[in-house]
Amino acid sequence: MSNGQPAPFPGQSDKIVQVENLSKKYGENVAVNGISFSLTKGEVFAFLGPNGAGKTTTVEILECLRNPTGGQAKVLGYDVSKRSDQAEIRKRIGVLPQDFNAIDRLTVRENINYFGAMFKHQLDADKLIELVDLKDKRDEQFKRLSGGLKQRVGLAVSLVNDPDVVFLDEPTTGLDPRARRDVWGVVERLKSQGKTVFLTTHYMDEAEYLADIVSIIDHGQIIASGTPDQLIDTHGGKKTLIIREAGEEGLKQLPLGLPKAELRNAGDIAIPLNNGELTNILMGLGATPLHDKEIEVRRPTLDDVFLNLTGRRVSEEGN
Amino acid sequence: MRSRIYTIISGHFKSWYRSKSNIFWTIAFPLLLIVLFGAIFGNGSTKFDLYLQNQDLNANTPTMYSQGYISVLNNTGAFNLHTVAAGQTVQQALDYVKSDAQLHNRGQRLLVIPSGFNTTLNSGNDATIQLYMDQSDQASASLAGIVRSVTISYAASIAGAPDHLNLQQVGIVTRNIRYIDFFIPGVIGMTLLTTGVFGAVNTNGRYRELKIIKKLATTPLSKIEWILGMVGYQMILATISLVVILFFGYALFGVTATIDIYTVGLVVAAALLFPGIGMVLANFVKEAESADAAANAITFPMMFLAGTFWPRETLPDIMKIIANFMPLTYVNDGLRDALIYAEPAQALTNTIIALGLAAFFIVLGSVLMNWKEE
Repeated sequence: MSNGQPAPFPGQSDKIVQVENLSKKYGENVAVNGISFSLTKGEVFAFLGPNGAGKTTTVEILECLRNPTGGQAKVLGYDVSKRSDQAEIRKRIGVLPQDFNAIDRLTVRENINYFGAMFKHQLDADKLIELVDLKDKRDEQFKRLSGGLKQRVGLAVSLVNDPDVVFLDEPTTGLDPRARRDVWGVVERLKSQGKTVFLTTHYMDEAEYLADIVSIIDHGQIIASGTPDQLIDTHGGKKTLIIREAGEEGLKQLPLGLPKAELRNAGDIAIPLNNGELTNILMGLGATPLHDKEIEVRRPTLDDVFLNLTGRRVSEEGN
Repeated sequence: MRSRIYTIISGHFKSWYRSKSNIFWTIAFPLLLIVLFGAIFGNGSTKFDLYLQNQDLNANTPTMYSQGYISVLNNTGAFNLHTVAAGQTVQQALDYVKSDAQLHNRGQRLLVIPSGFNTTLNSGNDATIQLYMDQSDQASASLAGIVRSVTISYAASIAGAPDHLNLQQVGIVTRNIRYIDFFIPGVIGMTLLTTGVFGAVNTNGRYRELKIIKKLATTPLSKIEWILGMVGYQMILATISLVVILFFGYALFGVTATIDIYTVGLVVAAALLFPGIGMVLANFVKEAESADAAANAITFPMMFLAGTFWPRETLPDIMKIIANFMPLTYVNDGLRDALIYAEPAQALTNTIIALGLAAFFIVLGSVLMNWKEE
């Protein structure tokens, strides 16, 4: 679904975004501190980090809304710092700003056409309405929609110029779980259409579920990058065996010689697993009163990756 | 491809007419004011209003004959007499009558009892009372008849004076401007002020909070196109206000207005000036709610001091000086000159001042407005 002429990509034709040593300072405050990454065509890239890590600043530099203090950033081969290049970038990117609201008293369809009219070419509003599954609400005024539906209008608006790359800044913040899933569904559809998506989020599960590539940013610096699996394998730590609701009593009933177990909330026992240990531990448990408890093996998540890399959980940062 | 500016205008316009409160403040509220003020000040008494200047005083007390004459006037029960200070020249008195009569929706008629009235009559010479009035005014003609009868009967009551007391009618040209005629251009000015300032505060403050401006800044739309769209929308709204208010002014109170090139110039000026002020506000006061409060703080004093509801001549001196610095003053005055008074020279001056202020504020607002983030 690419439109327009191919952008001049010197050397690397499939790089949609290239960032090298990018930094942004506000007075003494360093918001982004020398970060580098790139984004390949057709990829869903998640920029993951707590609030205030520098995600929005970075994405707004790529959207030509802010000027970088140092380093270089190219979008579709165009330099975000050059005024003449910015005009080209604006024609070909799709943007959903964080906390975006469309115009209250315009209908869904009118809003899509409103933002579409800013571009020379716009996609058919009805097709976009279908893509974000809002057919029933097409003629409803924006202000009457629920938070989840509003966000889907935002997604449609961000796609209205059939962009070569879509920037979604915290697209599911503040939504209930069902609405988050709906937004994920739209991003998956974009992915299946081969769209390149740049997503910022502080939700670990979102990045893990949607992204091909994740870069974790903290205090303005990228601290790890890779596929979700690579990140988990490298930084996630061990798998954990969980015995549900076993309580203090359960701890005493564990067979001897196991790795150090700990009690977690709701009385779950967690035992870190080394490779090849699982069968032995399960056999050992079979001989104890714990054998009829619910047992599961939990894989580390990106949350564990962030914890291991920073010593904090993202959820502790507050939203 | 639809033009971007057209889209901005149509977006604003749809948002406007779909909001009941917008319709209320732009159309219903001004009409309500017109009906209320028209009803309150339009209920003239059945008595004739007559301004009276008694110059024949002795140690600040009316002389015998002048007092006697006034008593007879009063006894007819036909007049509401309004006293004009004796120290003023006739011209000053007429000027005062003109503005005071306008303010209170009265006819402009002045009766002057000359200095030396008592002495002249006593000495058996001719004394002349002057009645200044617009002879084309029907009410004034009836009033003149009553004053004449009073004069004759009073002269008859003075022994030996029947032939010595005369009434001289002096024609003055009044434009017969009633309060409602004065008020209608003021309501138009007020509506242009509030829709312009609040419209700009809303679109530049609230749209910023809703990230609509941020979103637009990532598209090919430029800041200038956005501002032109907003100004275009304001011009449409200003035209609607003007037409609706003038129509109802005519239908309800028979106010006749002349729409000329100055009216057009003033509408253009207002559509640039007031949104310009709103943009400046929205940029200094970032939070939409505070910007709204700031807009109220600016528009309210302007409304009251810039001659919307009553003539500025009636304000205390210090307020008059402050009013000179209020942009609405020039829009109100210009609209009055153009629509009602038919004074092209003054309308031109006010239009030029309003356009100058408009250019200043729209440029300042545009320069201050952050289109990109920083």
